[in-house]
Amino acid sequence: MKGIFKRLLQKKIRSYISYGLIFFITAISTSCNSGKENQKSVTIQWKDKRAIAIVIPRSLLPASTEKVQVILVNSQSQVAILGDFSQEKESVVFTPLIPFTRGLKYEVLVSDQPVGKFEIPPADRKEAPTLLAIYPTADSLPENLLKIHLHFSNPMRETQSAKYVALVKNETDTVAGAFLDLQPELWNEDRTMLTLWLDPGRIKRDLIPNKTLGAPLKKHERYKIIVSSRWQDQQGLNLRQQYSKAFVTTPRDSDCPMPNLWEIKCPKSGTLQALSINFNEPLDFTLLTETIGIHASGKKIVTGQWRVQDLEKTAIFTPDQRWSSGTYSLQIEAHLEDLAGNNLNRPFDRDITKKQTAINPTKFVNLPFRIVE
Amino acid sequence: MGSIFVGLTFTFTRQDTDYPVKVNPLKRTQIMKKMYFLLAVVSAGLFLLANTSRLADGKYGMVVGTPEIKSISSLTFGPDGILFIGDSKSAMVFAIDTKEAAMAQAAAIEVKNIDQKIAALLGTQVENITIQDIAVSPLSKSVYCAVQHSDGTPVLFKIAGDKISAVSTKGVAFSSLALNNAPAEDAKDQRGNSVRISAISDIGFADGKVLVSGLAGKEFNSTFRSIPFPFSDKQDQASLEIYHAAHGKYETLSPIRTFTTAEIGGKKYIVASYTCTPLVLFPMDELKSGMHVKGRTVAEMGSGNSPIDMVTLTKGGESFLMMSNSARPVFKVKYKNIETYQGSLTSHVAESFATAGVDFVSLPVTNVVQMDKLDDSRMILLQRRSNGNLDLWTSSERYL
Repeated sequence: MKGIFKRLLQKKIRSYISYGLIFFITAISTSCNSGKENQKSVTIQWKDKRAIAIVIPRSLLPASTEKVQVILVNSQSQVAILGDFSQEKESVVFTPLIPFTRGLKYEVLVSDQPVGKFEIPPADRKEAPTLLAIYPTADSLPENLLKIHLHFSNPMRETQSAKYVALVKNETDTVAGAFLDLQPELWNEDRTMLTLWLDPGRIKRDLIPNKTLGAPLKKHERYKIIVSSRWQDQQGLNLRQQYSKAFVTTPRDSDCPMPNLWEIKCPKSGTLQALSINFNEPLDFTLLTETIGIHASGKKIVTGQWRVQDLEKTAIFTPDQRWSSGTYSLQIEAHLEDLAGNNLNRPFDRDITKKQTAINPTKFVNLPFRIVE
Repeated sequence: MGSIFVGLTFTFTRQDTDYPVKVNPLKRTQIMKKMYFLLAVVSAGLFLLANTSRLADGKYGMVVGTPEIKSISSLTFGPDGILFIGDSKSAMVFAIDTKEAAMAQAAAIEVKNIDQKIAALLGTQVENITIQDIAVSPLSKSVYCAVQHSDGTPVLFKIAGDKISAVSTKGVAFSSLALNNAPAEDAKDQRGNSVRISAISDIGFADGKVLVSGLAGKEFNSTFRSIPFPFSDKQDQASLEIYHAAHGKYETLSPIRTFTTAEIGGKKYIVASYTCTPLVLFPMDELKSGMHVKGRTVAEMGSGNSPIDMVTLTKGGESFLMMSNSARPVFKVKYKNIETYQGSLTSHVAESFATAGVDFVSLPVTNVVQMDKLDDSRMILLQRRSNGNLDLWTSSERYL
């Protein structure tokens, strides 16, 4: 009985082993096959989410000298795409001049005969760009507002703002020609921040565009800046949604920013506490990020992090190193502007026929402050 | 350009490169010999390459390499087939030796649906590309065309006859210059993380200098730079003031859209145009660093319009300023009239969209989006036709 059981057990174990072996060999052969499958098809090389090249296995290509071309499927003219071919041991790599376009199909031809096809998959909608902010962020803005800044999450496609940004009055009327058509547009280097000007010719009083077309904004009205969801990023993904910013207009602001009236809240020495500067009015967001700095005695620059907050009315500075006791200086470049383009030296809209002395013709304004224990 | 052009097709031979694992002494000697030979070839190559670089160094201080061009906003040609590229994204100007041969006669160029043809060569659809600028080589008379893909990748094309080819910028003789941006540099000192914004609106070459107009920083301010070529550390930045008749005020806060240079009454001038289309003359000898130069507005060519390109042509001893516009046809102005018009517009143009100053003629050519000079009397035009096609064609003398 014991012997019979043992034989059965051995048989069972043998069969398990053999099943296991069969599974193993099948798995290996499957994986080998899939490897061969890979070798038989064109593969795409990606860099920064762009399809920058394709790898054509030599198994697809005849041994003799042949003409290899890559073409766009379904295009009217079947011309070879420009690019570089490089020879690898097992493959030929084709790098086009610009990355392959998402959502389009391509074909590899040898002596005009197709040997392989590939499609560049559309970009993942989960990575769709968003509009992080429209500056200024306040909801009441002067009627002579000069510029707006759009801050996107992804690098965006250029020369599209005229098509996709609109200024709408009272929910119904689109204000035509509100933004200045600047070519090229004013983007930051990574194409995530765009500056748009409301047409300055229309803002300046008594100028002909101002008289004939009127100012883009009128006081005590309701407006909306609308950014269309059809605007694409550089990957070809549409904005996640339509974005809008509603605001009401207040009377004209013709006054220059007055640093003497700013309030500086000083931290204590020996701490890493933040210094806060209250401007008493919103200032231009992008200029704020580059026109103010803190200098210790001997003009040494104090390094740290700046944050603009409170509807661009406050800047907060956190130093990298603890404050020491002593006198410091907040240095402001005179070209810092408020929302209406008035800078520290002159209002944006000045009548040159009237004699006016510059309020502050210097390049910098310095505000001293003391750090104590 | 670097004589390297990417062809339409590529021909290659399959090569097997299997190496033996075990090597016998005889074979090892052969391999060593091969290696020495290879080493000799590489050394000879490097020696030749070094010589090439030295030769290139001699010409306008250029070196051979691959310029890191991030965008192509504007193109213009200088002496000896040197192509200047205005790169807004990196705020730099590149000078590239196109190594072109001079052609005695300029043949007319006509390419219909050029945008579709370029898109096909790039393997994409026409809506994914933008033609940024064109410039005609004074030597070969080929048209150089800057194209930008929707992902920002710039591509340079050359159009000779009806052949469109890409211009490689790998291994070319080049030099470059970063544009001074005083406020941003100060800002960098202060903050170290300045978000620089710059835009080059036009670029030109005259009297051994590269001229660059554009916006720098985020204020509404016009900068005009005059940069001696070959590049050195020197670049003059002047601020320009114009009397804008449509506005009825002096303006310093307007960016120049396009400009050209011309000799008027024996003196050299920058002829510039702005949004709302005043035509303004600035004496070139006054464009010095830190100078505040007042321009003379000689014509008011209508508000609600932006100038696009300007070129100077001549015929029968008379010279003409040709100007393409965003919302007007191509204008022709006789320089003789500019010379005799000694006034400067100082009063408002009373009627809206009206014009004033030097007289000009509207040509029956509309929607010209790019324009450059082919020879003394002809232009290359990139025009959006009424049927929607974008065609590149050559104007005839009859427009003059």
